[in-house]
Amino acid sequence: MATDERKSTLLAVDDTPENLDVVKGILGDDYQVKVAINGHIALKIAQSQAPDLILLDIMMPEIDGYEVCRQLKADPQTRDIPVIFLTAKGETSDEAEGFDLGAADYILKPINPPLLQARVKTQLALKHNMDELQAAYAVINRQKERMQQELNVGRDIQLSMVPDTFPAFPDRDEFDIHGLLKPAREIGGDFYDYFFVERNKLCICVGDVSGKGVPAALFMAVAKTMIKSTSADDHSPASIITRVNDEISQDNPSCMFITLFLGILDTETGELQYTNGGHPYPYLKHADGSVSTLEHLHGPVVGAMDGMAYGEDTVKLAKGDQLLIFTDGITEAMDLSDQLYGEQRVIDLFESEAKGSPESLVASSLASVESFAGEAEQADDITILAIEYLVEPKTAEGELLNVTISNQLAEIDRVNDLFNDFAERCDIPMPVSLKVNMVFDELLANVISYAYSDEEAHNIDISISFDNGQLAINITDDGVPFNPFTREDPDTSLSLEDRDIGGLGIHLVKNAMDETLYQRRNNKNTVTLIKNLNT
Amino acid sequence: MEITVRDEGDTKVVMLNGKLDTNTTPAAEGEINALLDAGASKLLINFEQLSYISSSGLRLLLALAKRMKGFGGDLKVCALNEMATEVFEVSGFGSILNVFASEADALAAS
Repeated sequence: MATDERKSTLLAVDDTPENLDVVKGILGDDYQVKVAINGHIALKIAQSQAPDLILLDIMMPEIDGYEVCRQLKADPQTRDIPVIFLTAKGETSDEAEGFDLGAADYILKPINPPLLQARVKTQLALKHNMDELQAAYAVINRQKERMQQELNVGRDIQLSMVPDTFPAFPDRDEFDIHGLLKPAREIGGDFYDYFFVERNKLCICVGDVSGKGVPAALFMAVAKTMIKSTSADDHSPASIITRVNDEISQDNPSCMFITLFLGILDTETGELQYTNGGHPYPYLKHADGSVSTLEHLHGPVVGAMDGMAYGEDTVKLAKGDQLLIFTDGITEAMDLSDQLYGEQRVIDLFESEAKGSPESLVASSLASVESFAGEAEQADDITILAIEYLVEPKTAEGELLNVTISNQLAEIDRVNDLFNDFAERCDIPMPVSLKVNMVFDELLANVISYAYSDEEAHNIDISISFDNGQLAINITDDGVPFNPFTREDPDTSLSLEDRDIGGLGIHLVKNAMDETLYQRRNNKNTVTLIKNLNT
Repeated sequence: MEITVRDEGDTKVVMLNGKLDTNTTPAAEGEINALLDAGASKLLINFEQLSYISSSGLRLLLALAKRMKGFGGDLKVCALNEMATEVFEVSGFGSILNVFASEADALAAS
């Protein structure tokens, strides 16, 4: 590229040395003029020294000016060098041929010096401008590529974070679930997820991070991971969202937030506990075709302010009920005249649709939004999650036992008596029920003796279920936080003199049951015990 | 919990009838310690009528074994049901107490 400091370089090509001298005489003061006396030399110099402009005679032996021009224009290295033909020939057809070959200008001999100077100056200026434009264009292209890459990174993060293998749980026949995330061109940070937190408890969530682009995608990734890790030891939607909200709010300089719906479905009873943090209301279609709204908000968007206590509600799903959860990419989808799709269209579609699978519900919902939007660009991510409950919920008469006792040691006998009746009804073998008696004695005595820092009366809730050979027991108390299972096992190999009784009770409990789990939720301790009788 | 005691030679046979847990152990502990206080030096705790034992029961047995070892007494346990056998196994008590399958076996062993 020409610069102000450097004289531009011209290459003059003519088989008559006198003509070259003339050109040098006219242009030599302002430019560096290189010369070539035939086409071969001209092409070599053009390739090796990249002059800024070439003055080319047409009538030359061996290779004429036209051929030189053709070869210059065919070579990417030289094709952008402007060529001015200088010739004595004056026929119009020659001019036309020269321009066809890509010549920049055409000057007739005898040379008029001011004209030559002016034309050369013009062409060099044009070339200079063209070079600058091309450099700018290259910069723009590189930027554009980088931005596109960034968008792709965001989209990759986002799409890799949502489960997309269907059927999601081929070995579960209690429900069917299908999800879809259609990112907008500029990513919006939507996500959905579902996973089991217990054998029969499915955690479902749909969220929408404020903001766009890679930051939203990253924030989404963090939030989603946090939800999953929190729900591992906490099965209350209210408590999960409360904890995730505290965690996110405390270190959130960018002030991003999430609208979040989180539910935990008990696949046995059909009960869905859910918490809605500023998220669009999900809809529930019943087997009879009617649609109801889960119109409870349990708190603001998640991540906005710490210290919020979110609540929760429960809805019981019946066989054939379908739940539709989505983000505002649906309701706020716009057509070309800026009309919103809106909630009513979601409800209308849900009501009018013949009942199909969650997959077809997701597909028809998306199709409806897309046909509404028409040519309008998708402004926000669209997420749709549909679940159908497929079985008769367990009424579980005779297989469920709920007992609430007060914090008195004598109550342990009552629990064991009730359990023994229950065990007899369920045909639980005597050695197992005796072990469970022992387990109740250990755990309830622990709670009653050590969990309370006051002298008040407290309730302890015990729920027992027996299904499919699996005995499940939950003991919930509102005492001080304490996980009994963190206690180290005693050394059972010590001699009589060295034996100490500490920790033995919990050791017995752990050995008597197949699974033991402790959770702290809603300010209560819950101990869950599982015993499988079929194995 | 019902406790009956009878003499078989110089051995006091203690029949535990019911369960040995948080609520019943204190009473059982009182009764058995009273036997030792009265001079008994050979005890056989018969588990035949015992439904279940929890760690409170084990605590009692451990205390008893330590006390009797202190004065050269003889403590035996017999007729454990499946549940108690497992608890003894898991707790390691099977190796620190003299356990016999039946009362006859226990009395026959000197």
